[in-house]
Amino acid sequence: MLRENAEMEWIVPKPVSEILKWVLLVWLAGVIVAAFFYVQPAEGFIGESSRIVFFHVPMAWVAVLAFLVSCVTSVMYLRRRDPKDDIRASVSAGLGLLFAVLATTTGAVFAKIMWGAYWNWDPRQTSITILLLIYAAYLALRGAIDDPERRASLAAVYAILAFVTVPFLVFVVPRIYWSLHPDTIINTRGANEFDSRYTQVLLASLVGFTYLYVWLYTIGCRIEEIRQRRRQEVL
Amino acid sequence: MSDSRRQRRIWYAVGSVLVVAFLAYGTTSFKSNLTPYVSFAEAANSARKVQVAGGLVENSTEYLDESQELRFTLVEEDGDTMVVHYDGVKPGNFEEAVQIVAVGNYDNGIFHAEQLLVKCPSKYQGVEDDVRTYGSET
Repeated sequence: MLRENAEMEWIVPKPVSEILKWVLLVWLAGVIVAAFFYVQPAEGFIGESSRIVFFHVPMAWVAVLAFLVSCVTSVMYLRRRDPKDDIRASVSAGLGLLFAVLATTTGAVFAKIMWGAYWNWDPRQTSITILLLIYAAYLALRGAIDDPERRASLAAVYAILAFVTVPFLVFVVPRIYWSLHPDTIINTRGANEFDSRYTQVLLASLVGFTYLYVWLYTIGCRIEEIRQRRRQEVL
Repeated sequence: MSDSRRQRRIWYAVGSVLVVAFLAYGTTSFKSNLTPYVSFAEAANSARKVQVAGGLVENSTEYLDESQELRFTLVEEDGDTMVVHYDGVKPGNFEEAVQIVAVGNYDNGIFHAEQLLVKCPSKYQGVEDDVRTYGSET
């Protein structure tokens, strides 16, 4: 069980994260301003719709990263049986689901503007739906088991299996099937379709969103740890 | 090798086999169900509403303003072509479209679309940086 009174350090030590969260605020504010004022609308896109790339792509990236972290920490749990790893895995899977939902929503908005419909079961939309269901089931599985150790082991095994589908659903499917989705940065033609300003802002946004994830993950783990410790105190 | 270690090895092996089997199952079972787009030949034989996707044949577009009728030809990868008929306002970015998804029914040699989805060349280049023309490659 969790050690008492042990102030846990999750990735980022507290004093550093206290400073970095303000840096993050300024950084992401800068990215938003740059996305709307520094970059010109791209040709071939209706109106301003190309700007969504600066938010949609980092959201999808963070979702994949979070699912990867969830998988790795689940493997760690099965090897060490440390409840902290279970907290890590569950917090990360929850964040991955949140960012996947955001990516899906921004994608649907873009689809309405560019393709003409919010949803038409394009392979991209179908594969992300399956992914959302898989990770929603992970949370449902966690909710269904009362015994913490049983919950942790079963959830860990499930999270590893769930991650097996991620490369397939996120990277393989859209490249096998014809899709309305714009070409991705790593595309089959090996062409970089981003001009220098698009590249700069997108990279800055990817960095910002990645730290946003780290920050949310750190907070999530702390909250979950406190919650579990309090539950133990009550018992 | 101790018994528990051997047992653990077996479990790892079983686990890996399960993961591979899971992947293989996923790949095969989703193959036909993941895409809503059917080929022109399948569309012609289907009575249901379907989605077809294809490249827009250059200079095949006709638009009748008074009846708001749009007619164009789509071409598939294998060279099959199909005439598409659409009643309604032309989608805003139709002019730039290189590929079109038409949702509707096939009837008597013509595909009657209820809805058009448009795919435009996606290049994240600011319009003022350089203006290029596009070929049909995507």
